[in-house]
Amino acid sequence: MTRLVLSEAGQSVVSGTFSRAMKHAGEALASMSGRRVEVQAPELRRCTAGDVITMAGGPEYVVLAIYAAFAGSLRGHALLLFSPLDAHRLARILVSDLRHPQEPSPTSGVLLSFDELELSALQEVGNVTISAFLNEVGMHLHEPISPTPPQVVVEMVGAVLDAVLLDLVGESDQVLAAGTTFSEGGQPIDGTLFVLPRPESLPILLDALGAAGI
Amino acid sequence: MTLTESPTLLVAGIGEMVLSSDPDSHLVAYGLGSCVALAAWDPDRRIGGLAHFMLPSGPTGSGGPVKFIATGLDTFLQALQGEGANMSRTLFKAAGAAAMLTLGKGISIGQRNHEAILAAMAERNLALAANALGGSAGRTVQLEVADGRFLIKSLSSTTEI
Repeated sequence: MTRLVLSEAGQSVVSGTFSRAMKHAGEALASMSGRRVEVQAPELRRCTAGDVITMAGGPEYVVLAIYAAFAGSLRGHALLLFSPLDAHRLARILVSDLRHPQEPSPTSGVLLSFDELELSALQEVGNVTISAFLNEVGMHLHEPISPTPPQVVVEMVGAVLDAVLLDLVGESDQVLAAGTTFSEGGQPIDGTLFVLPRPESLPILLDALGAAGI
Repeated sequence: MTLTESPTLLVAGIGEMVLSSDPDSHLVAYGLGSCVALAAWDPDRRIGGLAHFMLPSGPTGSGGPVKFIATGLDTFLQALQGEGANMSRTLFKAAGAAAMLTLGKGISIGQRNHEAILAAMAERNLALAANALGGSAGRTVQLEVADGRFLIKSLSSTTEI
C-alpha cells in the first residue's frame, strides 16, 4: 500500500512551490481574460476523498469543471471549477470579441447550458491555467509535466470528483489536495483550482524540491 | 452500524452505509459519479439500507465499511440481516457507475464498478429489481424507508425506479 508520507516541513516546501505555481496560473488566466486576477494563498491539505468534495462545495453543488490529468515526472489530476454563473461570465468576457455586438448568447438564460464557442473558450482557460501551474512545478523537476487535453463537464461536484478520487484512494485513504481561488477584478468571477498528485509521485516531487527526508 | 430512529435524512457518504426502520427516514447518497449506491428494502419488515461503494476491490482495512464492493457487499448484507431483513424478500436496486471523465487508458472506474456490482450480486444469488447504472450523468439517490421508493435525481430529471 502506498502511504502518503509528508512531514510538516516537507508540506511547507511543497506548499511554497505550489503557491508560486498557482500565482503563475492566475497570471495566465488574467492574461487570457484581460482582467486583473487575484489568487488566494493556496491551501495544501492531506485529506480524505470526502474532505476534498467538501472543500469543493459539497457533493450536490453544481459546477462547470475543466479537468486534465498530468503525466511525466509528476502524475495526478487537475481540476479548475467555476459555478455555472461565473463560467458564463468568464465565457462572455472571452468570446465577446468574436461575436457581433448585438448577437445574444445562444444560451443566455440557460444556466447549465454552454454553446460550443463558450465551451471551447473555457476549455482553453483550463488548459492555460493548468499548464501554467505544471510548467512552474516542472521547472523544479527539470522535466516537463504533460497535461492531457482538457475535458469540460457541468455536473455535481461529487460526481465530477469521485472518479478522480477513486483513482487516488484505491491504495491510500488520504490524498494531497492543493486548492486555491481566483477572483477577477471588477465583476467577481471565482474559480477554484485543485491539484491532486498521485501518492507515488510525491517522493519525486520532494526530492526535486530538496525536501526529501525532511 | 445500528438502526437510527430519529433523523429523517440519513446520508451515506463515500464508503459508508446507512440502515433504518424508521418510516419517516430517507436514506440518501449525494453526487454519485463512478461510485455505486445499492439500496435494499425489505417490504415486510420495512427495513431499508443504502450502501455507497467506491471501487470493485482493494486492500482490506482501509476506508469506510463498504469502500469496496468485493468485501463491503457482505458487510452490508450482514448488517441488513442483523436488523431483521430477510434476504429472500428484500428488493435491491442500484444506481451510479457513470463515466463523465476519461481518466486514461482502459475501461473507466464506472464501468468496472458496474460490472463488479452485477457480478457480486450474482455470486450471492441475488438480483437487482431495477438499476440505473452507467451513462455519463451524475446522480443523487434517495430510498424512502416507508414504502421503498427509490428516487434518482440528475441535473436534468428526477426518476423513480
